[in-house]
Amino acid sequence: MILNPLRILAELLQRRMLLAQLVKRDVLLRYRGAMFGVAWIFLSPLLMLAIFAFVFGQIFQARWPQTDSGIPFWMLLYSGLIAFNLFAETVSRSPTAVRSYPSYVKKIIFPVEILPVVPLGASLVHVGFNLLILVIVLLVMKSLHVSILLYPVLLLPLLFFSLGLAWFFAAWGVFIKDMTQIVPVFVQMLLFLSPVFYPVSALPQWLQPVYMYNPIGAVIEACRAAVLGIGIPWLPWVFAFVLSIAVFVLGQAFFRHSREEFADVL
Amino acid sequence: MSSDIAISIKNLTKTYRLFDHPGDRIKQALTFGRMKFHREFTALKDLSFEVRKGETVGIIGRNGSGKSTLLQLICGILKPTSGSVTVNGRISALLELGSGFNPEFTGRENIYFQGAIMGFSKAEMDAKVGDIIAFADIGEFIDQPVRTYSSGMFVRLAFAVAIHSDPDILLVDEALAVGDLAFQGRCLKKISEIRHNGGSVLLVTHAMEQVAHFCDRAVLLEKGRLTLEGNSADTLNFYLGSLNPQAEVDRARSSLEQYSFYNPKETRWGDGAAVIVDCKIIQDERVDPVSLLPGIFTEIRLHVIFYGNVHSPIYGLTLKSRDGAIIFTTNSQELLLANEPPKKQGDEVFVSFSFRPFLDSGEYFVSVGIVSSIGGRVVPHDRRYDVIKLNIAPHSAGAEPVANPAFRILSSL
Repeated sequence: MILNPLRILAELLQRRMLLAQLVKRDVLLRYRGAMFGVAWIFLSPLLMLAIFAFVFGQIFQARWPQTDSGIPFWMLLYSGLIAFNLFAETVSRSPTAVRSYPSYVKKIIFPVEILPVVPLGASLVHVGFNLLILVIVLLVMKSLHVSILLYPVLLLPLLFFSLGLAWFFAAWGVFIKDMTQIVPVFVQMLLFLSPVFYPVSALPQWLQPVYMYNPIGAVIEACRAAVLGIGIPWLPWVFAFVLSIAVFVLGQAFFRHSREEFADVL
Repeated sequence: MSSDIAISIKNLTKTYRLFDHPGDRIKQALTFGRMKFHREFTALKDLSFEVRKGETVGIIGRNGSGKSTLLQLICGILKPTSGSVTVNGRISALLELGSGFNPEFTGRENIYFQGAIMGFSKAEMDAKVGDIIAFADIGEFIDQPVRTYSSGMFVRLAFAVAIHSDPDILLVDEALAVGDLAFQGRCLKKISEIRHNGGSVLLVTHAMEQVAHFCDRAVLLEKGRLTLEGNSADTLNFYLGSLNPQAEVDRARSSLEQYSFYNPKETRWGDGAAVIVDCKIIQDERVDPVSLLPGIFTEIRLHVIFYGNVHSPIYGLTLKSRDGAIIFTTNSQELLLANEPPKKQGDEVFVSFSFRPFLDSGEYFVSVGIVSSIGGRVVPHDRRYDVIKLNIAPHSAGAEPVANPAFRILSSL
């Protein structure tokens, strides 16, 4: 059992060739056959953003509480949503990550533990395009702050947290088919329970620590602060990072422990 | 583990837990295994054997005897319930053809993907890809999606990739049975290359010829237990005897055993519908000479008795050098360019092969056999591998040995 997070990372890095190929396949296969092809990777977030602008900018005329930064509500919503979607895509797809590849488990010698990493890689590709759109729109609005360069770094805890959970759910997904139904529903619920549509400061006092110190909330808050160009809440972020590493290590250990039975079940 | 052992298996047992309902697995996990909701099935029981480096070992046995489970355990895909599997070196396995291939991607893309699975870098694969494509021999299809491939092309590609990964240990499950003769030839050449470089090969197959031809040893599994382990001829004979006790009785009628040229280490199998009961070697009117003179017409006359109806019998003969290399192989269909007439139970036939042994002095082996071809599938009735040991006398001055013994059929009555 490996409990050193650096060694787990090193082992994943050793497999970067294979990972890169799997992620490429995953992303390309999703758009293969579509008329606009890979252009959808850019088109769909753009379309989403346009709808946000219309609904929250025009219809609701929503304002972000307690700020007067000049950045409209829908852009702040978008900057948090990018981070949340990283988590959502990785975790929602994890229950089928191993389950849908029985031949990799049973018929060839394959490092099965990297299968749940593939959705993470694919969602990172999407994050990349989303960030590009974010930067361009902020630039047009003349509201771009240097601190946005920190955005990718600030995502780190969420990466580890999502992957740790993905390993848990991927293993459970092999044994319990219901996971493929349950997990996406929970992720959907978390979208509204996370500070994506509202800042933590808008919550009742007693709830705030729960929101601030969990990896999803901490990362979204930090990322949004980077976009706004205000002080990043480092303490909750560091705390969330430590928590995420713990989830990452435990998830990996659980996956390794249960993989011995995968071949018997699939 | 000593350094010349490639695979060491000790007291290996694999038990599957069978749950009737998926929920039962959760129930058992929730009680931390204190309550049992499953039945058990033991696929392998207390198995021990070793494979040395450079060795080719065949694994034989009926369906369900645990052969594939054993390969999966050696690969590390399954974990032993108890006992141990120790593997020394890098494994390349062909367990089920085409697994790990993505049908939507082209042959070339799949080659690179398989390479990545085996841990090769792009540069390493760039160096191999030419050889792999040449070996697979699928022409322009290499840049087409794999789903458009015929099954033969699929197999050749999968095999080409597995075999070019320079494995220390190559595991093959029933994969060689497909592909045409030319491809099989290439595979076997490559396999012997692997062996010469100190690699080991493990072959699971129902094609007994392959075991007889290529394996140094064979392991016989029966109901998850190792029943016999030994040189391939002994193991095969035991296995084939156990499969078909009736043929064993007929074999007793063979009178070849009395001759000086008879090789007691022959490998023999078949369903016994026709039996080679006798064989005569005649050269220059000398019957069963101690040694043959090179270059002089020689006749090998087989006496075949039919115990069942055989629609299109084919009589075959193969000449091999002492180290097992095939020098010449032929059969009645090839030589006569026609099918032999059908035979019914009780018929007796004498088939004579004649040839001129332009061969260097020394020992040679001859295999003979009677098979029939039903819809393209070969059914062996009586195959006797290496049944005759030929001694070629030193040739007189001036006579140059050549490789072609000029076979033809004299008569088949």
